[in-house]
Amino acid sequence: MDAAWVLVLAVVALGWAVPLLWAIAVSVHSPDEPISAANLWWGSHPTLANYTQAFQIAPFAQYYVNTIVIVFGILAVQLVTISLAGYAFARYRFRGENLLFFVILLQLMVPSSALIVPNYSTIRQLHLFDTLVAVMLPYFGSAFGVFLMRQTFKTVPRDLDDAARVDGANWFQTLRHVYIPPARPAMIAFALSSISFHWNDFLWPLVVTNSAASRPLTVGLAVFTQLGEIGAQWPLVTAGTVIVVGPLLLLFLVFQRQFIDSFLHSGLK
Amino acid sequence: MESARWRRLLVASATTALVVTLSACGAGATATPSSVALTFYYPVAVPGPITQLIDGYISKFEQQNPGITVKPVLSGGYPDTLTKIETTIKGGGTPPDVAVMLSTDLYSLVDSNAIQPLDSQIAAAGGDTYLSDFYPAFLANSRYQGHIWSLPFQRSTPVLFYNKDMFTAAGLDPSTGPANYQEMVSDAQKLTKPDGSTYGIEISSDGIPYWLFQSFVIGGGSNVVGSAPNQVNFDTPQAIQALQDFADLSAKYHVMPSGILQWANMPNDFVAGKAAMIWHSSGSLANILKQAKFNVGVSYTVGENGYGAPTGGGNLYMLKGIPASHQAAAWKFIQFMSSTDTQADWSINTGYIAARQSSYQTAAMKAYIAKTPQAAVAPAGLQYAKAELAAHDNAQIQKFLGDAVQAVLTGKSTPSAALATAQQQATQLLSTFKN
Repeated sequence: MDAAWVLVLAVVALGWAVPLLWAIAVSVHSPDEPISAANLWWGSHPTLANYTQAFQIAPFAQYYVNTIVIVFGILAVQLVTISLAGYAFARYRFRGENLLFFVILLQLMVPSSALIVPNYSTIRQLHLFDTLVAVMLPYFGSAFGVFLMRQTFKTVPRDLDDAARVDGANWFQTLRHVYIPPARPAMIAFALSSISFHWNDFLWPLVVTNSAASRPLTVGLAVFTQLGEIGAQWPLVTAGTVIVVGPLLLLFLVFQRQFIDSFLHSGLK
Repeated sequence: MESARWRRLLVASATTALVVTLSACGAGATATPSSVALTFYYPVAVPGPITQLIDGYISKFEQQNPGITVKPVLSGGYPDTLTKIETTIKGGGTPPDVAVMLSTDLYSLVDSNAIQPLDSQIAAAGGDTYLSDFYPAFLANSRYQGHIWSLPFQRSTPVLFYNKDMFTAAGLDPSTGPANYQEMVSDAQKLTKPDGSTYGIEISSDGIPYWLFQSFVIGGGSNVVGSAPNQVNFDTPQAIQALQDFADLSAKYHVMPSGILQWANMPNDFVAGKAAMIWHSSGSLANILKQAKFNVGVSYTVGENGYGAPTGGGNLYMLKGIPASHQAAAWKFIQFMSSTDTQADWSINTGYIAARQSSYQTAAMKAYIAKTPQAAVAPAGLQYAKAELAAHDNAQIQKFLGDAVQAVLTGKSTPSAALATAQQQATQLLSTFKN
């Protein structure tokens, strides 16, 4: 790698890191001290007061547990449903196959916010209002995931499938041992998009929950971002943001090697 | 084999779901028959331990009213609260008994049949005598079709904050702010530093641009609000003059930075000395006092003829479709939340203006004002305040006016052309409403 490339990469990396670094710096800026062009970072006497205040404003520990249960609960169910459906569409021929696949794809075009009222109605009739299951239920299926898995499974050579059958594998064993392993990169890519979407989802959880016991982090963060009435409290807002994104960021930094490895080592061996 | 195992699993999980559901129903049924459990939705629009304050009021209310319990539900911001309630109603659920929503949401809420009037309860509580303690300006967005639909809870108004030290340095009287638009311009000219380090004034035009614009119009002796919720007065000569005045601050007098100024940054610019005067919500006072390293003066926003401002903030509404047995309890709760003592405490802790005049006679409030005399300015100025812009389809109507304000401030249009367009858009949208 030559010097010019390193320079370009350094600039890109810096552009990505500055907002985060600024957020961390300002989150320890004293709330009594104005932020100005000359005093843009941590100020003259850094303090953890913003974090104390942020934790007073919302029960973040509870919200954390809820967010993790919601995000990974959805993902676990999704991985099962999308691989089963993707497998069926990729390898089985049945009546109405194309129509059914078309209907599933059609769902990609309906924004989830348009479904809030019917979904709420269903949740209410199931008596699930204000539960974690209510937040997760509408997302147990994923049209995008089904499409992704179908396309990925279609790239697996038929010969491997046939060989497995000859060896006496049933459909589940074939799926488990022949189709899933080469699809791991696609599944990880899907998992990342699912996690980031549901980690950030705000309106649906807000609508179907009433108590802290079933609410995710974004609802807690809203307490900081909705302070429209008075001017922005940057130190407080950034402290709340660091609390919310910090662990996810840390998780990514720790596991980034595994993520990247899994992408690099994709394909058939 | 395989499928049998699956079926067993399915039955097991269905049974679990059923048991969970039944036990949830059971919990509701075992409460004492005479007790009433209310639900209360509230949005958050200012910083501070809002949830703790609300929880504190509720436990006090429950102590005073045995047999009534209240479940507080934080419902995001104002728009989220409205969405949550509309979804509940459309989806066939039971809405909360009491909710805090914008005072200007009134017509939208009546149009969607979401709220019930409070007339009979207010009449029983003393009628006009009961209402007379509330600041009249805070009730200006509560009346419709001969009914009263809401009582004020978390209210505010724009005020003018000024840097007293800069006033003294510029040879101006630091004891009062400008009395009208002309004075504000001449003060700002003396306060603006030629090197661009300090502007005389900053008035935001993003977020809700129509709000501060209303101050110019009301200060000019007029208002953009129509006589009925299907009318607005956007293109009157007074409104055109007001928008010209707003734009002149940067384009003609160069005492304000040009372009769209961010609402969120104004208090910061003020405490950092970048602006000698700003217009902002009265609710910003506590934060400004905490950060400013100079003497802070509070005065009123102005137009051509003198002081003038719209009101802002949220009111307490009683929802429609709640059980009849809840109505009396819900009214008790509304009364408690808008009572003299609750309003005084709420004002001291959040910066909202107490909705009642008697709140300013309480010992707690007197002690607070002795310590923070600036907090007495905003309530005293409510005599100059008028209704905030409200109509059917309010979000759209407010946007039409806001877009006109921004078009003029960015030099894309003239006041008369922009306001004529806004008026025409609004008239067309409102023509579908009979009154």
